[in-house]
Amino acid sequence: MPDFDTGHLFLTFLTPIRRGTTHDLTGTAMSHEQAVRITLGLLPTALQSPATIKIGENSPFARSLQTHLCRFVVIEDAIYNGRTPEDALIASIRDRDPITPQPVDKLGNAYLLFAADIDAVMDEGDPLPVTLDAARQGRVRDAWARRLWERMAPELRSIYENCVGFDEVQTGADFARYLKKCQVETTMPFHDYWISPPKLSNLPVPLLAIAALLPLGITVLAFLAQVFGVQAVPRLGIAPGWLALGSAAVSAAVLYGLYRYVVANGQKPMPPAQFGDLPSVLKSLYLQQHFADFALAHQGSSAKNLHAAFGAFLETHTPADTMAPTQPPGVISVKAAQQTGPVA
Amino acid sequence: MTRQLDLNDIQGNIPRAYGRFAFPFARYFFLNIRNQDAGRAFVTTVRPRVTTAAWWTPDTKPKVTLNIGFTHPGLCMLGLPTRTLQGMPESFTDGMKARAFILGDRHPDRVEQDDSNWCAHWDPIWRENRAGDAGRDVHIWISMNAQLAQLGTDQPVPDLEAQTDWLRGLCSDSGVRMLGGHGRDGAGDFQPASAIFTKVGDAKFPTPREHFGLTDGIGDPVFQGQYPPDREKEAVIGRGKWMGRATGWQPIAAGEFLLGHPDESQELPPTAMPPNVMHNGSFMAYRKLHENVGTFNDVMATEAKGFARVMNVPEQEARETLIAKMVGRWSDGVPTATAPTFEAWQATRDQIGLNDPDPARAMQAQRAYLRSAASSDFRYADDIDGYKCPGGAHLRRVNTRDYLDPLNTPGKRNRDATTQLNKRRRILRRGLPYGPDDSAHKDDSTEQGVTMMIIGASLFRQFEFVQQQWIQYGLDFHQGNHTCPMLGDHSLHTRYTIPSDPKSGKPPYIMGGLKTFVETRGGDYFFLPSMTALHMIALGIVDPT
Repeated sequence: MPDFDTGHLFLTFLTPIRRGTTHDLTGTAMSHEQAVRITLGLLPTALQSPATIKIGENSPFARSLQTHLCRFVVIEDAIYNGRTPEDALIASIRDRDPITPQPVDKLGNAYLLFAADIDAVMDEGDPLPVTLDAARQGRVRDAWARRLWERMAPELRSIYENCVGFDEVQTGADFARYLKKCQVETTMPFHDYWISPPKLSNLPVPLLAIAALLPLGITVLAFLAQVFGVQAVPRLGIAPGWLALGSAAVSAAVLYGLYRYVVANGQKPMPPAQFGDLPSVLKSLYLQQHFADFALAHQGSSAKNLHAAFGAFLETHTPADTMAPTQPPGVISVKAAQQTGPVA
Repeated sequence: MTRQLDLNDIQGNIPRAYGRFAFPFARYFFLNIRNQDAGRAFVTTVRPRVTTAAWWTPDTKPKVTLNIGFTHPGLCMLGLPTRTLQGMPESFTDGMKARAFILGDRHPDRVEQDDSNWCAHWDPIWRENRAGDAGRDVHIWISMNAQLAQLGTDQPVPDLEAQTDWLRGLCSDSGVRMLGGHGRDGAGDFQPASAIFTKVGDAKFPTPREHFGLTDGIGDPVFQGQYPPDREKEAVIGRGKWMGRATGWQPIAAGEFLLGHPDESQELPPTAMPPNVMHNGSFMAYRKLHENVGTFNDVMATEAKGFARVMNVPEQEARETLIAKMVGRWSDGVPTATAPTFEAWQATRDQIGLNDPDPARAMQAQRAYLRSAASSDFRYADDIDGYKCPGGAHLRRVNTRDYLDPLNTPGKRNRDATTQLNKRRRILRRGLPYGPDDSAHKDDSTEQGVTMMIIGASLFRQFEFVQQQWIQYGLDFHQGNHTCPMLGDHSLHTRYTIPSDPKSGKPPYIMGGLKTFVETRGGDYFFLPSMTALHMIALGIVDPT
């Protein structure tokens, strides 16, 4: 479930990196792990600092209007965190010698981690969904993967050719199937486009408490009645012990039911934030910059002039249209985008 | 129980801003150690003259103070063991020049290879420091602060010149050398500094103002053990930490400013080995900050015209108001948090005697006001939207008080806000203006500014954080990339917004043409050892094992 939250898909892919040796373009021999690190090191990042702006080559992910953030990490092995700590007294009672080495966990393979936060939509610019079942999540992921392939197949190939089983990937559909095989559940998504607190599905705590305590209370009362020698429960006519047993069983069932209910409630995805889709985020950055310029330029204008100028502002910048005009992805500001020219 | 600090072991410039203790003159000397033995002998000779933090009586108060600090290369030249040197914080090891980009001292939009000459406007001594020639590296900082020879004049006691001559006498080309290269022409062999004097009748008096005409150096933090208990109660108001209404203002933990003492995270600040070489010491950033008085006056004149037009007020009132809203204090030091409008300011001035027709009495009233709790006793959680003190104002940036409380909400007053997210980012500010008195012509090319010394247990966590995140960036204050209107670099970001209470019926005002008013002319990071540590360094007995 946590793959989907706030109208976004939080995707995590773990792909085993091939063992053995490969060669780079100069014929130098190297491991696939080295090759993938070199390729990733050369992959341009977004134009966000003087250094990257000077290079001028934008991240290939800036060709997507759906990917908020993504990262590649080479996981060479499980991190060794030292011996499992143990109470010294217990260890000595169990006759465990701390000098004897404990087994060390190792991964069978190095892995390439690819994590991406994307709008959970079939087409760029679609509104964010509130809920999305597993099947539709898969369809969204596949559509995104196919689009990624369309726009950056050479880069993806240069990375993934060092991974196991990539030889068979020829088309966008192949790549989508490949990623699907590598997907693992994202257990901790993070979203921060809130402009107001989200409407959460809060638990009806008093009702839940009554539901839980009522059968428990009956159990305790009936048990006490049995202990103090009450012969039969009025109206029911049975011994209180039987009632205690019965209501204990009901209590257990109710508590389990409530537990399932609370967990299920916790599993509900958070609702999408208003304007939390990437085109809206970019458009708001665009509008914010232009509106700041507008406010400064028209400071102190007469109401009539201001009205006319704002009319022209609305016409030029069309706030309702999230797709255009807007700030392109992968740049730090509208001005930076103008300086660096059209984004590839 | 609070244990008294060992004030005889702590250098006096850490707890005391000498300028506030009637020392309106200073000289800063920068020395280069040619060999280790001469360096150690020099420290041995200078050490007995070092002014400690011990409390003074009128009889024991020195005419001239002396304090000493060392750069990382300086400690290296004095032969400190590698393990001790490696245990020093990386910011201190790097030095200020290497940190130029994060401090905003370099162009924010240029990569290093396109900006090789970024410090061309620095004083020669600082250009040549850490530039490859070990003979030009700054190793030692020595400061002297002097009292007035006579009230009504602008001359220091003759002891200042005498102590300067004594120091010159200790220096030689082969031992410890006094480095020249101060000022634009590089002619000075020390950096002079002095309060700005003003003429009243035939007499001259030091003022608490800097060269833009603004009252400076108010509201320095107060930490445990800095003041005697009877004075601490008053001093801590508005200058300590506020952790809730039940406790009110409390002094900040000594470990925020003194190594070897618990700090506000209830830890000992990390130190190099052995701990006693760092105990009771502190770190200091020395920064020579040039003030572009010409640019400041031009920009303020233009902006005042705009503000006067939009707000329908006289130009002089517009200028005063704009400056007050940029700084967070009116030019005489009255905070906008307590006097948010021009009228309220004038009323406060009347009330505290600043409008006294007798200038001498008015100056006295100002001195008394700046020393009083009233000049620092305010918070921001009652002004979240910045109608009194704008969110991006200089004061609000450098000491955020309770503004960053996580439960603060726009449009709502938070009576339970605390200074929790501010108390680890406080800095002690020391220093004086440099440049001529207030009668001289000043423009961008004349030599004036502030010699600034920022002291704290961690340069990285305190000074550099405040400089990078709060002065040269604005996200914590909802100001985006906009920098501090007074101290920030305005080569890229030139705007500053003054919010307006909707009840006033006036719109907010956006200043759109800010230029860089204050720029760095040099400096470095220094370690200020305790008296014990000076002894260990001088004897060469620093042993990290």
